[in-house]
Amino acid sequence: MVWYGSSSRPAARSVSEVNRPAIVRADRQSPGWRSRHIQLDRYFVQATVLPALLVMVCVFGLPLTFSLYLSFTGWAPDQALFTGRFVGLANYQDLLTDPAFTGALGKTFGYTAAAVAAQMGLGLAIALLLNVDLPGMRFFRTALIVPMMITPIVGALCWKLLLDPSHGVFNLWIGQQIVWLGRSDTALAAIWVVAVWQSTTYVTLILLAGLRSLPSEPFEAAMIDGASRRQAFWHVTLPLLRPYLLVAMLLRTIFEFRAFDNIYAMTGGGPANATMVLSMYTYLMSFVQFDFSLGAAASWLMLLMAMLMCLFFIAVIRRREAL
Amino acid sequence: MAAVVGSRRMRRLEAVLIYMVLTGLTLAFLFPLVWVLGLSLKTRLQVFATPPLYLWWPTFENYVDVLTRADFGRAFLNTMIVSTSAVILSLCVGAPAAYAFARFPFTGRSFLFFALLVMRMLPPIAVLVPMYVLFSKLGLATTRFSVVLAYTTFSLPLVVWIMRGYFEDLPVELEEAAWIDGASRIGTFLYIILPLSRPGLVACSILCLQLAWNDFLFAAVLTNNASQTLPVLMAAFNAGDSGMDWGGLTASGMLVILPVVVFSFLAQRHLVAGLSSGAVKG
Repeated sequence: MVWYGSSSRPAARSVSEVNRPAIVRADRQSPGWRSRHIQLDRYFVQATVLPALLVMVCVFGLPLTFSLYLSFTGWAPDQALFTGRFVGLANYQDLLTDPAFTGALGKTFGYTAAAVAAQMGLGLAIALLLNVDLPGMRFFRTALIVPMMITPIVGALCWKLLLDPSHGVFNLWIGQQIVWLGRSDTALAAIWVVAVWQSTTYVTLILLAGLRSLPSEPFEAAMIDGASRRQAFWHVTLPLLRPYLLVAMLLRTIFEFRAFDNIYAMTGGGPANATMVLSMYTYLMSFVQFDFSLGAAASWLMLLMAMLMCLFFIAVIRRREAL
Repeated sequence: MAAVVGSRRMRRLEAVLIYMVLTGLTLAFLFPLVWVLGLSLKTRLQVFATPPLYLWWPTFENYVDVLTRADFGRAFLNTMIVSTSAVILSLCVGAPAAYAFARFPFTGRSFLFFALLVMRMLPPIAVLVPMYVLFSKLGLATTRFSVVLAYTTFSLPLVVWIMRGYFEDLPVELEEAAWIDGASRIGTFLYIILPLSRPGLVACSILCLQLAWNDFLFAAVLTNNASQTLPVLMAAFNAGDSGMDWGGLTASGMLVILPVVVFSFLAQRHLVAGLSSGAVKG
């Protein structure tokens, strides 16, 4: 099927084969025509894919290879590019014995799990509400996705003003002067609230698309069989929605894992490393302490973890055929 | 979930409950923004009033202050230049590649596609660290060009993902007809496929533009005072607790999000496809 390449839908392919004019079939029989076109296709693919490949190598392949190299050397910013001394795994060893890094590792996983769990739960609830067939739902949907669309750093700074110890509206309401972002027991929770506020409707939008696409027959069958609505939800809706739930969950996990903007704007990793997650640690190590070797090692560890999630993501979705 | 059982009264009660919950949620979700919008329309004295002021005559002095600042105009221009260049670059490079992905088998196809997925999913800080070192040694750091290149790490995969899905959904018969009539592959792509996929191109440009506009991390590291973008300027208003400029921060914040909100409403239909990078077709 080199003639027009592969289509992901076998059904469409067979239809087009049936409908293809006879003249094309006759042409395809002649070997010269065919090989000439295969050659032309090859040129075309090269011309279209190579520019993209070039950009990918420049902004992605080369930097990552370089940072892998950097992570095995001791390199200072005043040195020339490839003059760093080879130190083996020393950078990685330093990281894994640094309590700030291991703390960041734990906090990143804890924060990611808590944020994703809340976003999934609340997001599903909102999606179910918005899926009820009532007038005015479009308005609610539009209003609810506003926090998701606005610039994250602006959203985070808005929350910083709301949580301000002496002039923030929350403290004025409760008549106290709690330093929400300056206490190690509330800082990460405040960041979690902002993440839930920002990205719950991200989950809602994906799940709503899923709910809309569900067939109605299973529900009718369940109703005829006398299932209660709760039973229908647990035994029909949720299983049918599973691929969408997985996509939403894995995307949120990957995006919360890299959380940076909110933390930078609200706490900068403090107080006393209470909100120090991996992105923040890598940022501070590289661009504040200018230890690019350690920064590169930390970013490669993050990269490996993200890549594992990505592989898991692809495997699950391939199997569910949502891709 | 069309089947709803229960009496009419029950259903009406249920509808009232749903509206109440949704109204509550909407108020909670919009409150931070509405409150900050209110702050931006207050004078300095009114901002710090205790108890908080709920009714006042709005003033636009904060907006006038922000808009007359030289660095705000420059940052606005920088953001425009950087995000549109990134989108144009990604479209020019990504759309033809997406077409090849959709229609032609070639060696390394699935590997390249996987690489694109990883590119979209990896933490940006992981590319940023080596990118900064390489760019500064090449003399590219602090230029707008470096930011444009950095932005392609997320906009190129997005373009390829969305456009591949779009091209795959176009009927192959159109291309076959063009080829029979003697059109070349490139001619078919330029004159048949691209005009037909204009809605897809518009959708993914809007999504990329939004991502580029909202980016903070890349721009914060790769720009200086002359080339900084709006989100970076925003964060500078926040420097130091004593020096936090409430009027400037709130007014500039509202100005930064205004274009994104307008844009997103225009592209609402396409949001889902973009969010999930084509994994779910909305």
